[in-house]
Amino acid sequence: MTESNDAPKPKGRGGKIKEAAKGVFYGMAAHGHVTAALRTRMYLEHLFMFITLGDMLGVPVIPPYYSLKILPYAVPNIKSWKQRVFRERDFTDQVF
Amino acid sequence: MVDILSTPFLWVVVTIGLYGVAYWGYGKWIDRNVWRSSAKKATPAHMYMDGVEYFPVSRYVLWGYQFKSIAALGPILGPFIGITFGWLPALLWIIGGNFFIGWLQDYGAMMLSVRKEGRSFGPITYEFTGARGRTNLLAFVLFYLIIISATFIALIASFWNAFPGTFVATVGILLAGLLCGQLLYRVKMNVFAVTGIGLAVVVLSIYLGVAFPITLGFGVWNIPIWAFVAAVILYAAAVLPTPMFVQPTNYLAFYPAYAAILLILFGALMTPFWGASFLGLTLPRAPTPISIQMPAGPFWFDPQGILGPIWPILFVAIACGAISGWHSLVSSSSSAKQLDIETDALPVGGGAMLSEGLLALASLIAYMVLAPSFFVGRTNVAAWVAGAVTLTTPFLGGLTAPILTTFFGLVLIIYALTVQALVTRFFRLVAAESWSEGRFHVFGNKHVSTVVGLGIPWAFAVSGSWWALWLYFGGANQLLAGLAIMLITIHLARTRAPTRFSLIPGVFMIVTTLAALVWQTGTFLYSVWAYLNNDNSWVLRNVRPPINTKDYILVAVAINAVFVAVGTVLFAVGLSMAVRLFRSYRSSMAERRARAPAAADGGERER
Repeated sequence: MTESNDAPKPKGRGGKIKEAAKGVFYGMAAHGHVTAALRTRMYLEHLFMFITLGDMLGVPVIPPYYSLKILPYAVPNIKSWKQRVFRERDFTDQVF
Repeated sequence: MVDILSTPFLWVVVTIGLYGVAYWGYGKWIDRNVWRSSAKKATPAHMYMDGVEYFPVSRYVLWGYQFKSIAALGPILGPFIGITFGWLPALLWIIGGNFFIGWLQDYGAMMLSVRKEGRSFGPITYEFTGARGRTNLLAFVLFYLIIISATFIALIASFWNAFPGTFVATVGILLAGLLCGQLLYRVKMNVFAVTGIGLAVVVLSIYLGVAFPITLGFGVWNIPIWAFVAAVILYAAAVLPTPMFVQPTNYLAFYPAYAAILLILFGALMTPFWGASFLGLTLPRAPTPISIQMPAGPFWFDPQGILGPIWPILFVAIACGAISGWHSLVSSSSSAKQLDIETDALPVGGGAMLSEGLLALASLIAYMVLAPSFFVGRTNVAAWVAGAVTLTTPFLGGLTAPILTTFFGLVLIIYALTVQALVTRFFRLVAAESWSEGRFHVFGNKHVSTVVGLGIPWAFAVSGSWWALWLYFGGANQLLAGLAIMLITIHLARTRAPTRFSLIPGVFMIVTTLAALVWQTGTFLYSVWAYLNNDNSWVLRNVRPPINTKDYILVAVAINAVFVAVGTVLFAVGLSMAVRLFRSYRSSMAERRARAPAAADGGERER
């Protein structure tokens, strides 16, 4: 594939207006729901990570045999999991 | 002949023009000279990108999200009370409040959170005022949520009672939401198809609402029963998983809610032109001439002798649309974490708030074209609907008055119900955060906390007059705004940026709202005192039927006393919070004078 095919074509005024209108519409109608769904998945992933890595943290939830079996699936998520769990949170984070 | 001066047209154009100056003039100046935002500076969305909470989002998407999150019933019903003092002071507050304070708070809260690594207001309050400050904020927010809930439950019940077609239509939207949730997440149907099906059900439910109006036959007990029904629906919304109920319902509700505002603004702009001819084309004529009928004012005291003086009451009666503390929580809670570049904060935070001002303007205009008789006693919550029908009938004349009335009545309920569902959920989460451990751990349980978070507001809703609750709601909301502006000011002081542009609005809001809380609490206190001196009229005036009769006089006195207690607590917690923030500001200024120069951008420009 040539470089010119990869590069996004510059948008004209009409294209920009269309993009802005689509963005506003999506933001009003769906963005909050998408982020809420992502957040729900995040809490489930926290649970998964805690179950998987619990014995390594000193909280044995499932036997290490199963933890080791699941470990390859958990390892890629460790960095972002740590970042989210260590982040300071309080009630004002729950507004939306 | 086109008559510009006696119609709302001129005021729509003037307000839009001044909001334009606020955004492109004052807003850009503050952005450049106070916050010194830079597109090159990394935002938390990039620094901590995790694809869940932190990720960059286009400014258009974020503007839509921010606007949708802040626009609710506040800007619609606030002007109903505010117009008591004449439409001119109400309009000036909607313009001036937003011009100098409203957008500044939303934008400043967003920038503050961005500069503080995407942290929300709780941790920032902790940093500026210590652990007690945060506990204060928590207590204040809990009371604030109860008052919001009471106000909105009372209004939902009143709307169902006033518009018989709206209950079936509301149930239709809720069922459509449930159906859409199942189709989206279980059947995995295409979102456009789901939207089409959902909207078809919404339209059908409006027609069904008109065909099968529901009127309760319990007289003065209608409102308590409707309020209970509202509480049951809100309970389900708070405890069910959000994708199942709240999300799809809010998504569907978005369409009629925003369509209504656009229709009203269009109708207001067209008012002088109905029946006029342009280039051989004659526009339809309004059934009755549409003109401003309410007096311009200003009235320094409520002419009906109920609310009190224009200051501070007007400034808390019209909250959202001029300035609202709720917005600072939204700005710092999620939008700041997704801001792509710093310079987007002005269009997203400031732009969304100025747009919400237009929502308040649309509502004020809907009231301006009505006769003053609509506002006697302030019990006619149907006024907005009557104004909206008046403004839109010339171009929606094909639809009958019952359909338009049901549609606009449903819009009011949607605005209240969707936000209240989120507020109840938030209360439950705050309760879980506060009481999940310790002696009161039972209040951390999701069912118990939801019942408490709806039960207390229900009791307030069915006992207090809604305008009395509204002023408490406005007072608490505006006070939160003042506190948020003080947090912003402290940050600016610490970074050696100019502070007077936020300090003056912050002090004004705190003083005004504390005065409003004192006035309102004093009114209830005076009522109890008058009762002790054999004057029942004040006590009975502050409560709603059936309690406002001599048969329930002791209940009425007790309710007045409870409102005294609520007002006192709100005032005390708010004052304590304000004192902490002023102390923190003073010490920040002292430190600033003692330290080497820096800047709001962390000293980048100096470096």
